[in-house]
Amino acid sequence: MSATLSPGTPAPPFRLRTLHGDEAGVGSAATGPATLLFFFKHDCPTCDFVAPLVGQLSQRLGDEGLRSVAVSQSDSAASAAFAAKHALEIPVALDEELSASEAYAFDSVPCLVLVSGDGRVLRAFQGFGREDFFALVADAARTCGAAVPSLERPGERWPENRPGCASRVHDPEVAQRLAVRRGAAQLSARRVHIPVADDPFEFFAALGIDDGLPVVPPTEARVVRMLEGTKRSPSEVVALVPPNLAPATVEKIAINAVMAGCRPEYLRIVIAALEAACTDEFNLHGVLATTYFPTPVIVVNGPIRHEIGINCAGNVFGQGFRANATIGRAVQLVVRNVGGGRPGEVDMATLGQPGKYTCCIGENEEESPWEPLHVERGFRREQNTVTLFAGEAPRAILDQTSRSARSLATSMGLCLESVAHPKFHGYGEVLLVVCPEHCRTLEADGWSKADLRRRIQEATSRPLGQCLPDAECAEGLPLQALPSDLMGQDGRPRPEILALPLPKFRRDEDILIVVAGARAGKFSAVLGGWVGGKMGSVAVTREIGA
Amino acid sequence: MSDSDRVILDPTAERSPLRRRLSARGARLRGPIGLVDIAKARGDVFLDELEVQLRLRLPGEQILRLRKPTFTKPTPPSLRDEIAQRCRVVIQALAD
Repeated sequence: MSATLSPGTPAPPFRLRTLHGDEAGVGSAATGPATLLFFFKHDCPTCDFVAPLVGQLSQRLGDEGLRSVAVSQSDSAASAAFAAKHALEIPVALDEELSASEAYAFDSVPCLVLVSGDGRVLRAFQGFGREDFFALVADAARTCGAAVPSLERPGERWPENRPGCASRVHDPEVAQRLAVRRGAAQLSARRVHIPVADDPFEFFAALGIDDGLPVVPPTEARVVRMLEGTKRSPSEVVALVPPNLAPATVEKIAINAVMAGCRPEYLRIVIAALEAACTDEFNLHGVLATTYFPTPVIVVNGPIRHEIGINCAGNVFGQGFRANATIGRAVQLVVRNVGGGRPGEVDMATLGQPGKYTCCIGENEEESPWEPLHVERGFRREQNTVTLFAGEAPRAILDQTSRSARSLATSMGLCLESVAHPKFHGYGEVLLVVCPEHCRTLEADGWSKADLRRRIQEATSRPLGQCLPDAECAEGLPLQALPSDLMGQDGRPRPEILALPLPKFRRDEDILIVVAGARAGKFSAVLGGWVGGKMGSVAVTREIGA
Repeated sequence: MSDSDRVILDPTAERSPLRRRLSARGARLRGPIGLVDIAKARGDVFLDELEVQLRLRLPGEQILRLRKPTFTKPTPPSLRDEIAQRCRVVIQALAD
């Protein structure tokens, strides 16, 4: 028996239209000593059995003050036929939308509820029980100050028990509709009606709220279902999204996640990614507004990768995996729709790149001989995290012949030197994605990530003089970027400074290393970063919450 | 599609109404061109002359004449649908 039907609890008030066009129900004001509610479905055999008994009880105690209301879960035609079949003279209230049935929280019909004059449940039961019905009749009579009527005719014996039928609130379609009704009440977003003449997908394109690809319409039912993917309140503000610094609530993120095609279990990853992206350190505004290439690259670590199907292996940067495709897309849609970041407006990318639709991968921790990225960055292996990195599109690192770790790392260094421009040494962050076959080569020689970074820096070291603009190539490290104590009287670096070896990256730890991809194929990748440090963007890792 | 499927939740920050984007502006005027008379006095005269000029300058382009029943009420949905389905460009004559 649900808590709602426990004796002594307040009976939920309701008023419903009846077959006669007036209203009946249970109100907060006292309406006589007691009210009997008879919830039924027209096609329930036990309801057929109970209906005459309710009619008789109403006749015997009606003059003593007992109000009786039949509450039908069926449509009006079926309800009228039921009432006629049983010659019910009591009001029949129509609860086709199940608002009263849901409030009283019973599982099966018939459900009889005796309510006191001050609006409390006196007794309730579902289905039919002979003793239960006797007790209800006795309670009704006592409450009305009347003698207990005997309704069982001489020689008749009612069955001890008859099971009822499932309440309509448990029909799968109805249950979902009711869940949406409950959930939709907590949604505060503006409702937008798609005109009948409009194709929904063309409608979204016309509004400019898509990313150029069709989106899933974010109906109330879909958003309510999406919100089941997090324990956080829909009204909670997760982040202020650049460029307009508009608040992204859990609800708004869920709406865009629906549009992106996410499943509910992806939502908390999208939330964590936005938390990371909207930090000062990541500098999403700069990443969005620059004429350069970067996009928020999302790297997922932890057990959640396999729980929800994030691809970490073959074609990891490519198509075909819903979690990878939609998580990144949801983040981009939030930036566009909530933050207001759109190409040609604040997004001034000269060329852009495909990763601005979506870029989300899982690290292939199982193929890695090293600590995964999130453990390096201070988390436990069993924690689920996202790391946001402002990255270019992946570019290939081909090495199919190196048999030693040193040779392979040298190849990687030579490839990495071309990030942005070969002369740009002292560079900020990059993301090096090492494929499993290359891992095996490095592992065979016992190389750690630190060894790999060190060799990359060695292989990329060039005399400073070769990194400066010259007559052949005007690009290079700007002289004004060099410390003044390195400069001579002529405004150029002192000769001994020109010979100093300058590695590609400012710090070894600027080379972020993850393992991903299929077991076959000796092709790793590098994703160049954007401006590093306080003026640019640095990678940010966040734990994925509930 | 049920009624509930035609109601969506706004994915934006709601700082401005959701509006359809303007269609891209073409390099040249291409038909079918709808000339819509809102039924004010002598609006038809203006559109007659406009039609003559358009036919001179854009030979071969289809030009359609359409008319609201009255200027005092919004365009009937049936006329709106007809304009949407038949015309690439619409010129609406307002007059007073």
